[in-house]
Amino acid sequence: MDDWFDLAAGWLQENLLIPFLYWSGLMNWEDVSYGWALFALYGLAQVIVTFAVCLPLERWRPVERWANQDAVWVDMVYTVLSRVGVLPFVTYVLFYRAQVTVTGWMADQGWVAPTLESLFPVLLGKQALTFVLYAIILDFADYGRHFLAHQFRWWWALHSLHHAQRQMTFWSDDRNHLLDDVIAFVWFGVIALLIGVPPLQFPLLVLVLRFLESLSHANVRLSFGWLGERLLISPRFHRAHHGILAAGQKSCNYGAVLPWWDMLFGTADFSRDYVATGDPSGEEALASGTWAQQQMAGLRRFLRAVPVGRRVAQG
Amino acid sequence: MPRLSRLLFLPVCALLGCIYVSYAHALGVAYVINSAGSSISVVDMATQKEVRRIPALREPHHLILTPDGRSLVVGDTAGNQLLFLDPATGAVQQRLPVADPYQLQFSPNGKFLTVNGLARNQVDVYDAATYKLIKRFPVVATPSHLAYTPDSGTVFVSLQDSDKLAAFDLRTMTPKWTVPVCKTPAGVLWLNGHVLVACMGTDIIAVVDPNDGKIVQRVVTGKGAHNLFLSPDAKILWVNNRAGGSTVAMDARTLKVLARYEIPGGPDDIDFAPDGRLWITRRWAEKVAVLDPKTGTFQTIDVGRSPHGLFLVPAAPSPAGTPGR
Repeated sequence: MDDWFDLAAGWLQENLLIPFLYWSGLMNWEDVSYGWALFALYGLAQVIVTFAVCLPLERWRPVERWANQDAVWVDMVYTVLSRVGVLPFVTYVLFYRAQVTVTGWMADQGWVAPTLESLFPVLLGKQALTFVLYAIILDFADYGRHFLAHQFRWWWALHSLHHAQRQMTFWSDDRNHLLDDVIAFVWFGVIALLIGVPPLQFPLLVLVLRFLESLSHANVRLSFGWLGERLLISPRFHRAHHGILAAGQKSCNYGAVLPWWDMLFGTADFSRDYVATGDPSGEEALASGTWAQQQMAGLRRFLRAVPVGRRVAQG
Repeated sequence: MPRLSRLLFLPVCALLGCIYVSYAHALGVAYVINSAGSSISVVDMATQKEVRRIPALREPHHLILTPDGRSLVVGDTAGNQLLFLDPATGAVQQRLPVADPYQLQFSPNGKFLTVNGLARNQVDVYDAATYKLIKRFPVVATPSHLAYTPDSGTVFVSLQDSDKLAAFDLRTMTPKWTVPVCKTPAGVLWLNGHVLVACMGTDIIAVVDPNDGKIVQRVVTGKGAHNLFLSPDAKILWVNNRAGGSTVAMDARTLKVLARYEIPGGPDDIDFAPDGRLWITRRWAEKVAVLDPKTGTFQTIDVGRSPHGLFLVPAAPSPAGTPGR
């Protein structure tokens, strides 16, 4: 299946991108453009697969029904921007450049940054197994990032944009403030430098992981059962994380794909059932504004929350 | 060879002393670097099939044979590593930390290994015997391809993002000159006392005076002229045109275009088989084209993602019996 994407990206490269780059005098981007074409096509496939699976599920057993779904349309903009448009390109270029610079400097010192494959040579050539191990490590790193985003007032101010959505659907996964995305980018960039995450080796499996993250936000009454929910994060489990907190309740279920970290660190709550979502503490624009209004509202909240370091209880 | 014919052929050959095996041995092995797939395809030249893949670490691009012929050196750019392979078997001999090895070549006298650090804007000259860094030349920007003078006294490097060509004196280890050459220069080749530069942002190759970097001639080859290769008999200059999707044959003496072949999919590197055919990587097609210049037709071999550098070892034993993975 990877071959189909590669050939489609090759077609895009040869028939659209290269003629454009040649015409515009930008042929020095020709290698990068192929990477972008692959990223964009896998992103598009993520959106299509997620749409094809999640939409029928949401129609079949919705948790909530809304007369007006304007807020959902804004989430679609986030998804397209994040997975198909400019962001993958910027991420690819920045990530690549940063990684080359830092790891190259380390190589100059005679030290190559460790990778799972260099630490465990038996993994060399076992791409699928290696990816699963990388995915587990990155999922743990994401748990840590997400947990901290709820602990610091300034960070929560940014992250609250993600939580402000009262009409949570599978489109809501990418609903983030740009600064929050930048922090996540740096966070994973550092992790990648420490363990040498390969950028383009496992795109199909990345697609599966991103699908699971989108599914966990879906507006659907779907549980994976007692055992299943302890292996993979379900829409029911993640909805509890987005739930409006009653007095005395603490946030829970910070995991993205695997619930193991929540179970390990005592932040898992399997008891909450299909609660209402949203963040009443933020201004209305965070929930129902346009993309730009949401970004500005998030920035205002962030600036009010600076200086950094104060801990909060909400979220 | 059709499957049925081979089924009948093999037992007969076994009885006659494995003539088939000898025939396969004569054709050898091709190594194809899958840059975005982080692997090296081992292709049986006899069957023109990929038989296995050697895992690299992150993003290998180019490879070169050591002066003693004992190792193929693969530059893994994002992996910051040189991977040494036995050219006969593909066995990994060693891995060496080296910063950002993109294009790399040994000097004709075998003393130096020059490594272009494309992402890090550096040209590194190593002692070819010890792989110790002798000299680092910071450059602006993105050093792409390189070529030496036959006496190994100078190395020329194309600087892709600044549209320049740079020359470095390897006797004194000092920069000689850096001059504007053309839009997005890529491949570099020494030919008949001049430096040839493929200009990927245009449709020409530039003929440059090695003494001062002045352009003495421009020759149109095709859109996105990317890389240049001299045939083993030194009579034909081959140029791959990235944007135009073509490979042209030129008279190496007059630089007159003799023939043009349509090779879609981003033609990049070339190596020459003893039977006169050209093996050409097609970056966006996940394939290698095996071009017969006599007929103008080419066969395709499936390899990995974004095939880039390739190297033929006709003398290597056939890997046909090696289990794939």
